[in-house]
Amino acid sequence: MRSRRASRSPIASAVVGLFLIGTLVPILYLFSVSLMGRGETVSGILWSPDPSWSNWGDVLTASNIPGGVARSLAAAIGGALLSLALAVPGAWAIVRFRTGGATLGATLMSPWLLPPIVAVVPLLTLLRILGLNNTLIGLTLVYALVNIPVAIWLLEGFIRAIPGEIEEAATIDGAGTFRTLVSIVVPLVLPALVAVGIIVAILNYNEFLLATFLTQSVDAQTFPVALSMFYGDRTPHFGKIAAASLIGVIPVFAVAVFLQRWLIGGLTTGAVRG
Amino acid sequence: MALSRTAARPPHLLVSRRERWARRSLVSPSVLALLVLGAYPLLFIIAASVSDSSLGKPFRAWTGTENFETVLADGDVVASLWRTVAYALAVSLASVALGVVAAVALERATRGGSIVKTILLLPLIIPPVVVGTLWKLIFNPGGGLLSTIVEFFGGDGAALAPLSSTAWALPAIALTDVWEWTPLVILLVYTSLLGQDEATREAAALDGAHGWRLFRSITLPAIAGAVAAAFFIRLVIAFKVFDLVFVMTSGGPGQATTTTSYLIYQVALKEFDVGRASAITLLLAVVVTLVTLPIVALTRKVHRDA
Repeated sequence: MRSRRASRSPIASAVVGLFLIGTLVPILYLFSVSLMGRGETVSGILWSPDPSWSNWGDVLTASNIPGGVARSLAAAIGGALLSLALAVPGAWAIVRFRTGGATLGATLMSPWLLPPIVAVVPLLTLLRILGLNNTLIGLTLVYALVNIPVAIWLLEGFIRAIPGEIEEAATIDGAGTFRTLVSIVVPLVLPALVAVGIIVAILNYNEFLLATFLTQSVDAQTFPVALSMFYGDRTPHFGKIAAASLIGVIPVFAVAVFLQRWLIGGLTTGAVRG
Repeated sequence: MALSRTAARPPHLLVSRRERWARRSLVSPSVLALLVLGAYPLLFIIAASVSDSSLGKPFRAWTGTENFETVLADGDVVASLWRTVAYALAVSLASVALGVVAAVALERATRGGSIVKTILLLPLIIPPVVVGTLWKLIFNPGGGLLSTIVEFFGGDGAALAPLSSTAWALPAIALTDVWEWTPLVILLVYTSLLGQDEATREAAALDGAHGWRLFRSITLPAIAGAVAAAFFIRLVIAFKVFDLVFVMTSGGPGQATTTTSYLIYQVALKEFDVGRASAITLLLAVVVTLVTLPIVALTRKVHRDA
């Protein structure tokens, strides 16, 4: 469809190459350190002469990291599903019926403008009243609410792209508002739901600030919180820290590799409207 | 388009009262989110800022403007605000400049398959705590990547400890931040480049516009809206920086990397003085608004001109 023949340039390829190196070298270095022994991490080498997976083994069997990853996944996926369930009706109503006028969409995004530290103490107080502080359920509920605006923002573009005639036809056939939403709109935006769901789940999985305050007990800690605890030791073991970091990143990398088509599609749709 | 649709079929005249309530219920969870995350914290913080509040017992006694007076007289608070503004502007400008270069190069490159794009976007999906950890290892004075490379080229790598230097700790965090978030700018600008009008560019090229001139008069106006939006989003994210500071320096050495977000965390959750923390938070809100408003105005202007 699009021809890009005219201006392809080797300089541009070289620049892209530099950016690739800049992106990949730090990540590869992290992997290299994860295979080093305690002495090797401080000896100024780039690759261990005797690479060993023992750091990975130690982290997997004797740390809070695997549990943290599991809890992060639970909060990330649970929160994302809940966000979507609540955001889809909202996005549809805002796009199709202009519910809340022209301002609701923008107003919804406004809490995003301020540092999340603003909400930590009030949310902590609220969860304490509800008896949900230090629980994964409390954190999941907070994640679900936090991402409703983001999900609506990303979904609006997809919903606008659905021809309104399809919904009108459904209404003429006697389908009510909810029925039109469930049996017409949701199936049509299913690919978008996957994309937005992945993005929101990754945001949740990576979130640190709220998690560190809302899940302070060890058996509620998510992966980023568990990782930050590795710095508590007086002489940190860099090899183990690197292994722990990578173990926590694997789920996100897996999603990015297997679902990249949806992921990039979703990011793109949200982006063009910027 | 949306406007003409509404004009042809005014929804509020055709739908029943019951239907209108059904529609309102569709947005009710979103409104709830707005109340819980926006209105409630804001009211809480305003109330806490004019009272003596600890973490366990908020609103013990009303103190009027006392918290604000203390906070404004506190050199550390004022310094952290300046630091945060300078930091946010610097990392945003750097990210946008690098991101535009990368996006334009990506679009013009002979090779730029989907694997390349996926790799370039990797830092975006890596948890910020891991990004901080990763760069802390790179900056590690004894045997980190930076010191090893400097030593290889004959320098004294062992003396390089950017994260424990008052002059270099903040730039080191800024570099990490730029690494983490430039891909977002690449993504926003690249998608907008794909949407530009190919015919205009070909016509300009036929008229003899090449290289820098083609970029300045054709490409740049086409992506100006996306660049302005990217700058705004990037700035908002930069103002929030917390994870990197927490993991890499804990605000130190001294106060060298204590951004206002980190300061609020220290005051609220280490000193338990929620009243003072709330006053700082409101101050930060005012500063963020003052800095971002011109950018919002600029974004609007660029959109109108485009």
